[in-house]
Amino acid sequence: MRNARVRRPQINPIIVREVRTRMRGARPYVILTGFLLLLAAAGVGIYQLMLQQARFGGTLLSAQVGQSLFKGLGFVELLLVVFLAPSLTSGAISGEREQLTYDMLMATPLRPAQILWGKLVAALSYLFLLIFAAVPVFSVVLVFGGVELRALLKALALLVVATVFFGSIGLFCSSFGRRTARATTGAYTLVLLLIGVPVLLASVWGQFSNPPGQLPPELIYLNPFSALLSVTTIAPPGDPAMAAVPFFSFGDPFGGLPLLGTLAPGVVYYGQNGPVVLPIYRATLLAYGLLTAILCWVSAHLVLPNRRWRPRWSDLGFLLIVTGLLALAYFTRAWWHIPAPKQF
Amino acid sequence: MTYAIQTVDLSRRYGRMVALDQLNLSVEQGSIYGFIGPNGAGKTTTLRLLAGLLEPSGGEVRLMGERLVPGGAQRLVGYMPDFFGVYDDLRVWEYLDFFARCYGLDGATRKRSVDELLSLVDLGHKRDAYVQSLSRGMQQRLCLAHALVHNPPVLLLDEPASGLDPRARVELRELLRTLRDMGKTVLLSSHILSELAEVCTEIGIIESGKMVVSGPVDEVRRQLQGSARLRIRVLRGLETAEATLRQLVVAPQGDLPQLGGVRHDLSDERALLVELGDADEEAQARLLAHLIGQGVVVSEFRAQAENLEELFLRLTAVE
Repeated sequence: MRNARVRRPQINPIIVREVRTRMRGARPYVILTGFLLLLAAAGVGIYQLMLQQARFGGTLLSAQVGQSLFKGLGFVELLLVVFLAPSLTSGAISGEREQLTYDMLMATPLRPAQILWGKLVAALSYLFLLIFAAVPVFSVVLVFGGVELRALLKALALLVVATVFFGSIGLFCSSFGRRTARATTGAYTLVLLLIGVPVLLASVWGQFSNPPGQLPPELIYLNPFSALLSVTTIAPPGDPAMAAVPFFSFGDPFGGLPLLGTLAPGVVYYGQNGPVVLPIYRATLLAYGLLTAILCWVSAHLVLPNRRWRPRWSDLGFLLIVTGLLALAYFTRAWWHIPAPKQF
Repeated sequence: MTYAIQTVDLSRRYGRMVALDQLNLSVEQGSIYGFIGPNGAGKTTTLRLLAGLLEPSGGEVRLMGERLVPGGAQRLVGYMPDFFGVYDDLRVWEYLDFFARCYGLDGATRKRSVDELLSLVDLGHKRDAYVQSLSRGMQQRLCLAHALVHNPPVLLLDEPASGLDPRARVELRELLRTLRDMGKTVLLSSHILSELAEVCTEIGIIESGKMVVSGPVDEVRRQLQGSARLRIRVLRGLETAEATLRQLVVAPQGDLPQLGGVRHDLSDERALLVELGDADEEAQARLLAHLIGQGVVVSEFRAQAENLEELFLRLTAVE
């Protein structure tokens, strides 16, 4: 055997390995089919709900159906992302330790950042497949109308960024913990805190704030469902940019879809000039990007078997990314930090 | 001479526990070095330090004359851990291909390396099989192959024969000899001492983090054995033989040698083991003639080298 010249790898070997094994067997196809059926069933259910409103004498426009479908399908898909992404990545590093392949991996020239990036992309690749496979189902929304293509793209961007962020939470817990079970528990605890705390605050804010008022939007920047609501809730008339799009119900902008009303505080404000939908998804996207970079940065240190906190050249890369995002956030603060309007 | 592996006062602590205490080890290039020690002696810690997976608490490691720096062991060392896993749903050739990619081998080199390694470890016929379907012995060979994928000059094998049946162990020994013929330096740890004696050129015995003895196998034996030993198997007159020999332990008689000790061979009730001291062959011949003259019928009279297992037990006995 000739001497093999050792160089830095080109295509991430972990991604190559995952691509080879991920679609083997029937299970991935069964899951994909089941997911699409679930999404289609959700769409049919929402449609039937809208028809029910028409049967009870309400006026039902095609655009209203489109908007409700947009909200409902987006919600279902985000629910899937939020709860699947951490579970897919929480075994990334701890699983290597448990299946006794960790030492062999650490003995190779792969850098921690390469291992993490490969693990993140590999674990989330299937989820991305599910998201993009669902695009045709989402496109039914365009058939009914009421939703701009731009809103669809915003929702898709939010889904992708949320997938990476929640995946990085699982990755961080996996690098931190030695056992996958513990890592998964830790990841879901963080996810529930991110989602549950704002909802809890929203439900009690009015009782404890002085003077009584609506929840400050800053408190829900990290809640993905609130961010999705800000994308999928169409602004009411009065906004010149959205004048052509019907806003069907002043009283219930969610078209009667259950649960979504609980996510309204901090997103929909009932001000002096009527209901206003704050685009908090902008802050959410930035925050998720920043937190993902920080979580990956810390995970790159935790994944090492020794000298975990010794400065590395990769720290410079992470520092540049984090600094860049902070600078972007600072210079675009007028774009993403929109104060709540004055109330009645 | 540049040693393949050299440690200078290498130490490693886990909290307050000292796993390695100023270990000094030198392994010549092209040798097979057997690392022996009881459980918890520090063998795995030493191998992991050499592979760069652990950071020393003190001292240094040199590989092929170069001081080991973080990340520096990867290109020089192929490491096979004692407990290793496999990736599910990966074929045998894909497993090697994955590690070849990890080491940065380009396409053509990678393909050639995978083919050559599969042939070397005799897994060519299992190329397309899934790794989890292989037997323990085959997985062990595959793991050894993965350690060779980047053609390193040094191999660190932690308990490579663990869990193998006798045939698989014989095959492993042959493989190790082949690696030595290829110019590789192999450092392996094992509890199966008889195998180490057969395949190793040098051995080191470690206990409680300290090196007890190290060097070529025969030299270590000579160093430790001290006096020569005779094994005398008696067909008739065992009691007479034992009494005669014990008298010679107390005091020499005439031109007969004074013996260091006499005991029964536990594996054979008709055999006696005699510590000779520095008696030469002439003295041994006179002893044999004396026994025969006493009416003892002797079926076996030979010098016996202490095997590695006995050396190991003696050196690592709890005081």
